[in-house]
Amino acid sequence: MADNTLAKLSASMADAVEKAGAATVLVNARKRMPATGIAYDAEHILTADHVVQRDEDIKVILADGTELSATVAGRDPGSDLALLKLEKAEATPAETIEGKGRIGQIAIALGRPTSEGVQASFGIVSAQGGPVRTRRGGLLEGHIRTDAIPYPGFSGGPLIDADGKVIGINTSGLGMGNSLAIPADVAWRVAANLKEHGSVKRGFLGVRSQLVEVPADAQKALGREQDSGLLVVGVEDGSPAAEGGLMVSDIIVGLAGEMVDDHDSLMAGLSGEVVGKPTELNVLRGGKPENVTVTVVERKEPKRRHGRRRRAMWRGRRHHGGIDFSHRGSHGPHSAFRFHGKGKRGRHGKAHFWVEHLDDEDTDE
Amino acid sequence: MLNGTLTQASAEMVSSVQHGLAIVQAKRWGGGAGILWSEDGLVLTNNHVLGRRSPQVTLFDDRSFKAEVIATDPEVDLALLRIDADALPAIAIADSTELRVGEMAFAIGHPWGQRGYVTGGIISHLSSAQTRGRRGVVPIIRTDAALAPGNSGGPLVNASGEVIGINTMIVGGDQGVAIPSAVAVDFVSNVMGQEYSPAPSEESMEQEPLI
Repeated sequence: MADNTLAKLSASMADAVEKAGAATVLVNARKRMPATGIAYDAEHILTADHVVQRDEDIKVILADGTELSATVAGRDPGSDLALLKLEKAEATPAETIEGKGRIGQIAIALGRPTSEGVQASFGIVSAQGGPVRTRRGGLLEGHIRTDAIPYPGFSGGPLIDADGKVIGINTSGLGMGNSLAIPADVAWRVAANLKEHGSVKRGFLGVRSQLVEVPADAQKALGREQDSGLLVVGVEDGSPAAEGGLMVSDIIVGLAGEMVDDHDSLMAGLSGEVVGKPTELNVLRGGKPENVTVTVVERKEPKRRHGRRRRAMWRGRRHHGGIDFSHRGSHGPHSAFRFHGKGKRGRHGKAHFWVEHLDDEDTDE
Repeated sequence: MLNGTLTQASAEMVSSVQHGLAIVQAKRWGGGAGILWSEDGLVLTNNHVLGRRSPQVTLFDDRSFKAEVIATDPEVDLALLRIDADALPAIAIADSTELRVGEMAFAIGHPWGQRGYVTGGIISHLSSAQTRGRRGVVPIIRTDAALAPGNSGGPLVNASGEVIGINTMIVGGDQGVAIPSAVAVDFVSNVMGQEYSPAPSEESMEQEPLI
């Protein structure tokens, strides 16, 4: 059975883990459990923003065990990504897939929350989606869902394919109770922005809008097929929209040459390069296409909310058979409970653990 | 496309391992799994599977035996039984010290009493655990293959159908822990003396020089 196809696949999966594992690092930037990061280049580590809870005394341990200190090069809470700069350019950069992942392809989640070596869980790409609005006030241009188990400390680590190339970055910090992955192309673009500017600019226009149908004759006047647009129902005083002359009852159908047919496409169009520059806004005014020039300003990120914690004592067995096992695991991937810490062994081989009841705003992975 | 070769390979691997799987019952309720360790009747299982009764071992072909407990080691949660049978389809043992994270792993046992049930995953982590005994620290294998009560004492096998570990416990509801085959081989040879080295795997037989 030496040349069995299954054994070959198994070996190539171990190869993939080994290859991507070399770029997967431990990031120690919060109390309690360290998390994972992935080398963007030799000097920069991409990780999840919510696992970087302090700006000083950040430690990164590379795959070979080298411990380096790092500083925060930039954060983007909107997409839950942070970029760390290492004191020495010694990391092995990760390789990413070309384009998008495919539903059904093999996906392995990697993490390195301990110095005992890389950890992995197996699954497939279960779903891929368009833009999602995150609870941190940002808009993610795309997301990936996988059935690979996100073990504690996997946040910030890569989701890789069978060749060891990065499909996405795993995070549990985007709310919605589930863990998801940020597609590699999106994450790498955010990382490039963070490396250059230290932040990702998200634009602010100052309109309230409502999704409406675009009538057939207006579509003809536009010269393209577009079923929907955004009806302006309110313009904030002094906002870029007001200064550009946008009026209530205008229907927004495009921004900077790109079609706007729902709120998400407007949000996506407002991030990045357009911020701070005069930009053409394509509207229907009285059924006729017109262009309005607006200067999009930077959106102020909402303040980070820290979850409230309620603490309770929990007594549990720490021993099973003869093995003294210090739980550092979760109660399950979607549980609100997290065990942590090594409890003091009490009588009867029992141990105390702190159990935290966490708001989903502050998931602990 | 692979034209079903992968499906065929996994089905063949699983059916070959299932014959080396035993049911071990030693309590009023429930039961665990056991591994046919040698052709002449040694069965390896978890210590916590054993109870007050003398264990009953049922083979894949439905033959049932009263087993003798030869040795137990609560520290690594292993127990060695002997049944009065020979020419048993013992499962080949792999060297667990050669394992790599990301390799495939299949758990076979009787979760919730479902006989010969197979779950698949990969080696998630190669770590170690503190023990209360003389060893102090033992290596453990963590896997994302789903385990449930009834998997205890059963084999965790690699893609070639060789035992890499003995499924022992569940952590956090979603992570399985197995005692590596190297620890089990060590335990058995300490008890039985060196003549009970594990059944040679097919791979190592192929490497034998042809005479």
